[in-house]
Amino acid sequence: MEEILALLKDGRSRSVEMLAKELGTSPEDIRRKIEFLEQAGIIRRLAETPAAASPCAACHGSSSCAGCPGCCPAEGLKNMGTRWVVQEA
Amino acid sequence: MSEKNETVIALLGQPNSGKSTLFNALTGLKQHVGNWPGKTVEKREGYFEHGGQKYKVVDLPGSYSLSASSDEEIITRDYIAGGLADVVCILADSSQLERSLYMLADYVGINVPCFLLLNMCDVAEEQGQKIAIAALEEKLAIPAVLFSAPEAKNYGAFYGALARAVSEKKRLDASALDKKYSEIAAYGKIKALLPADLMPGFSPVWLAAKAVEGDGPVCAKIRAALAAAGEEETRQAFEAAMASVSGTTAEHRGVLLTGARKFAWIDDLLRDTVTKPAQEHALSKSDRLFTHRIWGKPAVIITVLLGLIASFIPALPFMALGMGLGALNAPVRELLTGAGCPLLLTSLISDVFIRSLGFIVQMLGFVFGVTLVFGLLEEIGIMARISYVFDNTMSKLGLQGKSVMPFLVSFGCTMGGAAGTRVIDNWGQKVLTIALAWAVPCGATWAVVPMLATVWFGAGAPLVIAAILAIMILHMWLTSKIFGRLLVKPADRQGMIMELPPYHKPKWAALFRYVLGRTKDTFFRVLRVVLLVAFLFWLLSFSASGRIEDSLLYIVGTAIEPFTKLFGLSWQTFMAFVASSIGKEGAIGVLSTIFSGSGAVNFGTVMGETANAANLNELLLASVGKPEALAFILAVTFNMPCIVALAATYQETHSAKWTAIIAAYYTVGALILACIAYHIGLLLW
Repeated sequence: MEEILALLKDGRSRSVEMLAKELGTSPEDIRRKIEFLEQAGIIRRLAETPAAASPCAACHGSSSCAGCPGCCPAEGLKNMGTRWVVQEA
Repeated sequence: MSEKNETVIALLGQPNSGKSTLFNALTGLKQHVGNWPGKTVEKREGYFEHGGQKYKVVDLPGSYSLSASSDEEIITRDYIAGGLADVVCILADSSQLERSLYMLADYVGINVPCFLLLNMCDVAEEQGQKIAIAALEEKLAIPAVLFSAPEAKNYGAFYGALARAVSEKKRLDASALDKKYSEIAAYGKIKALLPADLMPGFSPVWLAAKAVEGDGPVCAKIRAALAAAGEEETRQAFEAAMASVSGTTAEHRGVLLTGARKFAWIDDLLRDTVTKPAQEHALSKSDRLFTHRIWGKPAVIITVLLGLIASFIPALPFMALGMGLGALNAPVRELLTGAGCPLLLTSLISDVFIRSLGFIVQMLGFVFGVTLVFGLLEEIGIMARISYVFDNTMSKLGLQGKSVMPFLVSFGCTMGGAAGTRVIDNWGQKVLTIALAWAVPCGATWAVVPMLATVWFGAGAPLVIAAILAIMILHMWLTSKIFGRLLVKPADRQGMIMELPPYHKPKWAALFRYVLGRTKDTFFRVLRVVLLVAFLFWLLSFSASGRIEDSLLYIVGTAIEPFTKLFGLSWQTFMAFVASSIGKEGAIGVLSTIFSGSGAVNFGTVMGETANAANLNELLLASVGKPEALAFILAVTFNMPCIVALAATYQETHSAKWTAIIAAYYTVGALILACIAYHIGLLLW
């Protein structure tokens, strides 16, 4: 797991498959380690649809973002995968 | 055994390990649900009888591990430490043992008798896995059972393992993991100085490992015990060992050290006991292309361009429909005049309403097309690859990978993009991201610009769009150079891990529902803005004498024209540019009013013969030359996105200064761009 964190220090982003290839292991191994690092609070999962996660200027205060042009549509940007970043101290 | 002569079984497992299913199957209706004392975590207890023996089942809260990072984990630990359970049933998901055995690994060193339940063995079997359960039992020294909750025959094996665990009081063998832990220098030191019987049921192996992990409650207990014993030397030795595993550079070093050993222990355990069919980890062909260091970018750019060209196709029927609506103008005008309708009203209906509506329907074609094509790209998983490829480009703009998403969202709406920057914790990076996101053509731009481009450039419209994307990239690069130094300090960039979604077939029905919904939303929003602006400019172009030369619009327009000519824009297109600051659709409102031909507001005198053309498209084509059209299109595209985006920018940056700087920068930038485009256009046409 230290090896994953060390790789991330170079600033490049990698897919799970690329990490597995670079570290000579399987994607499943990388996945369980990502889960571990996330559980330990060392890495953090990014909100998948950033706009939907927080109300925008246009619908601020209203209970729903439905129909608001500023918000990511609820059905939009769902299939973008998952992203993690190292939690800054 | 509790006082009622029952055997107490505690179910321990990660969320989704199938704990609840097992609990329900065992206890049936004999359940009691409450809360754990002092916590909002649900406590479930139930009862069953088997072979004349009464059992009480306690469903421990699902948690990832036995660390002390959540209420669930603390409850679980305290329950086990309380000695209330006679036996712990540890659940793991057979289909992914590498990760799901982590709970078992974290249990190593706890002396409460236990047995292992490998749940969902049917799924593992489908995957072609073979689990040698007897060999596994031997390695662990506890009963282990293959299980799948829905199959009744499994329960016999479950009761058998349960009985053995209870009667033989089997404890999990800790020696293998102890050996691995011993590679960590601090572990050995801490284990050696642990006071005896610190926590009942928890062996020094477990306690020392938790201390290395910096576990709060365990460390506190050790410190208290050492302080009570008054052994100053031991206490200092403990603190020294602890300091060696909690360095400043990697705060969680201890957790990583033991975590890596636990995974290695799991791998050792599975090496001879589980065989699975060799898995092909090769990337799919398209992923090899998209994640290629050299070819990834061109592949993505070509995909986006093809997508944009493709989105013109579904737009064509809308174009025809919109033009047809526009052509209704003359007959309606005649009809109204014939019916004795006042000239003013006739003009309002035909010049403002019908023309605007015709324009809007044409625009909707592109909204529909772009939403459909890019919705499709997202649904099948290509969008995620696009964001992945551009992620590493962000560093060239001085940004983190986190900025990709706000940029992508900005293609829909700049406000969304601005709100999306909330995931960026660095203020300077956030402001820079918003400043760059403004350069990304938003949904309204995608409605207005392709339509205008088609009017003037016909089949050459996709070329204009490609040029806009190229300028966008250049614009973002230049903007990052201008503002980057002021906002972002060259800092260490941390990479990101991405799990790309698998490719899958689109769900057409849902996609069309989504696209139609978006198109409808856009229609009403655009209708409001266009009609409002069109009406406003219609009023401004009205004069008591009926002559356009006397209208306020004409007087102001001609007065500023020497200035607007600097950017290649006539006063009419300049007015449309100004209106596009409110919202890109505003430009359409202005155009449809100013260029309307006849009636009360007679622009015929201004625009000569062309004014007689019935169709606005033809009107535009005849009265505005290609160089000016190009200048105008670019000015509108790279103008500030809209008034609400301005507000959103202020809300996110909390800086009036930077909001004003960005707005002024974009307004000036758009005009400079128009000037350049005009002069290039003069050379071309």
